Amino acid sequence: MTATIARQQIVSLLRQRTFVVLLATLIVMTALAGVLGWSSHHTIVGVYDEAVKLLASRGDPAPPNPFLLKPTLALLSNMVVYIPFIGALLALVLGHLSLVDDETVGRLIFSRRISRTEYMIGKIVGAAIVLVAILLASLAVSTISLAIVNRTMPTGADLGRLAAFYALSWLYLMVFVLIGMVTVLVTRRRSLALLSAMGAWLVITFAFPQITSGLRPTQSLNPIVDPASTSQAFFRFTAKARPYSIVEQYKAASASILRTAGTESTTSILRQVAPLLGLSIVLAVVGIGLVDRHDYSSGSNDE
Amino acid sequence: MSESTARVKALAAHEYRAAVRSKILLVLLGILVTITVVSVYVAAVDHRSKVADYAAYRAAAQASGLARIAPSTLAPLSLLRGALEYLEIIGAVVAITLGYLTVSRERANRTLTLIRSRPVTAGELASGSLLGAVGLFTTLVAATTIVGVVCVGLIGNDWINAAQGFKLLLAAIAAIIYLGAFYCVGAIATANTRVAANGLMIALGIWLLVVLILPQLGDTLDADNQIPGGLFKALTLDRAGETEILKHFSTYETTRISIEEASFAKHYERFAFAMTEVQDKYRGFSLGRLLGAKRNDIGWMIFYSFALVFGLRWSFRRQPTIPQETT
Repeated sequence: MTATIARQQIVSLLRQRTFVVLLATLIVMTALAGVLGWSSHHTIVGVYDEAVKLLASRGDPAPPNPFLLKPTLALLSNMVVYIPFIGALLALVLGHLSLVDDETVGRLIFSRRISRTEYMIGKIVGAAIVLVAILLASLAVSTISLAIVNRTMPTGADLGRLAAFYALSWLYLMVFVLIGMVTVLVTRRRSLALLSAMGAWLVITFAFPQITSGLRPTQSLNPIVDPASTSQAFFRFTAKARPYSIVEQYKAASASILRTAGTESTTSILRQVAPLLGLSIVLAVVGIGLVDRHDYSSGSNDE
Repeated sequence: MSESTARVKALAAHEYRAAVRSKILLVLLGILVTITVVSVYVAAVDHRSKVADYAAYRAAAQASGLARIAPSTLAPLSLLRGALEYLEIIGAVVAITLGYLTVSRERANRTLTLIRSRPVTAGELASGSLLGAVGLFTTLVAATTIVGVVCVGLIGNDWINAAQGFKLLLAAIAAIIYLGAFYCVGAIATANTRVAANGLMIALGIWLLVVLILPQLGDTLDADNQIPGGLFKALTLDRAGETEILKHFSTYETTRISIEEASFAKHYERFAFAMTEVQDKYRGFSLGRLLGAKRNDIGWMIFYSFALVFGLRWSFRRQPTIPQETT
C-alpha cells in the first residue's frame, strides 16, 4: 500500500505540473551557477591577461595565474548557496503540496484499507523520489557545465565528490520537505501552513546562524562560512549549539566535499551530516505521529 | 475632517488592529526583533573594546604631550548594519505576509465585496490599508531603531550625536518605504489570484528574486570577488592598477551594475548603509553631499513605491462588488 501511495503522489505531482516547475527551477538554478562559474573563469583569465600587460609596462614580474588557485569544482560553489535558499523553499512547497490537497479528500482515502502510517511513509517516499529525480537532472547539468568551463571531462574522483554533494543536498532538502508536511498537519489553514513553514526556514537559514556564529544575513549568502570568534562571552555560550545549525553544517560539509575550502576528514564530514540525518528522522517520526491523530473530517480552509 | 479622510482613517485603524491580532504575523515579528537585538548586541560588545582601546590611546597620547591626536575612525551607527539587513530580508517577508493577509482575511470573511459595495472608492481602500500597514511598520522600525541605539550606547559605550540621529531617521524612513513597497507586492499578488495561497507564493517568488538572487548575482560577478582574498590583491595590483584594468571590462561592469540596479532591495541597502556609515567611503560626508551621492537610489525607491501604490489601487478596483439591489 505504501508503494501505491508513493506512486499516486508522484503521478499527482506530475499532473499538477508541480514536478515540471520544480525541475525547471532547479535546472535554471544549476545552469545559472554554471554561467556564473563560466563568467568567473572568463573574467579571471581576462583580468590576468590585462594585469600581465600592465605589470610588464611597469617593469614588474607577472604573478602566477590565479585561476590555477581555484579548485576544479569551484564552479559549483554557488550551488552551496542556492540549495539552502531556493532549493529549500522549493522543498517546503513540495512537502506542503504533498499533503495539503488530501485535507479535503482524506476521509475518502482512509475509507480504503490503508493505515495512516503507511499513508505517511508513502507520501515521504513519493516526495523523496521526486527530489532524487530533480537532483539527478541538476547533477547532469553540473557535469556538463564543468566539462564546458574546464574544457575537460570531470575525473572519476570529481564525479564521486559531485555525487556525494548531491546526496548531501538531497538529505538537506528532505528536512524541508518534512517541515512542509509537518506544518500542514499542525495548522488548519493551508496559507497558515505555508507561512509557518517559511518561518521555520527563516529561523534555520538566518536566525540560528546569527545566534550561534554571528553571521549577518548577507554573510549567509556567501558559500563559505566564517563564524565569529568565541572570544566573546556570548559566542562562547552559543557556539556550543553551532553543530546543530544545519545550514552551517551543510555549507561546511559541502565545501569539504567539493574541496572549495580546504579538506576535512571523512569522520568530520560525517559528524557535520549527523544532525541533518537526526533531524530528518525526528521530523519523519513526528509526521507519522501527527498524521495518526489528524482530523480529516473537517477539511481545510483554502484561505 | 472630510468624509473621505474619515473613511481612510477608519480603514487604516481596521488594518492595524487586524494585523496585531494575527498570530502568524506576531511570530514573524518576534523572530525579526529577536535576531535584530542579538545582531546589535553582538556588534556592540565588540565595539565596546574598540572604544576602550581608542580611549586608552587618547589618554596615553595626551599624557605624553602629543599635539595631534588621530580622531576616532569608529562609526557607532554601522553597528546597526545587522538590523538593517534583517529589515531588508525578513522585514520584507513580514510585509508580504501582511499584504497577503489584508486581502485573504477580507475574502475569507466575505467582507471584501461588502466593503467594495459601500461608498468607499478603490483609492480610499488602498490608501487606508496601506496607511494601516505603514503604521505597523513605523512601530516596528521605531522599536528596532530605539533598541539598536540604546544597545550601542549602553553596551557599546558610544552614544550617537544629533547629526547621526538625523541620518538614522532617514534610514528608518527608507526602511518604512521599503516595507510598504513589499506590502503592496503581497496585496497585489493576492488580489489578482483566485486562490490566496497562490498569490502568496507568487509574492514570495518576487521576494526571492529581488531580495536574494539579484543582489547575490551582482556581488558574485564582481571581478574582485572571484578569488578568496580578492583577485586584484592576488595579482599584486593597487587601486590605480585595478581602475586601469577595469576600463577594459566596461561592458561587463555595466551588466553587473544593471543586475543590481534592477533590485529594489539593493537601492534600499545602498541608501541605508550610506546613512549609517556602514560603507567607509561615505564617512565624514555632509548630509547634502550624502543625499547627492545617493540620488540615484532615492529616485529608484520613489519610482518603485509609486508604481506599487498605483498597482495596489488598480488591484482593489478590480475586486468584485455586490450588486446594489433596489426593493
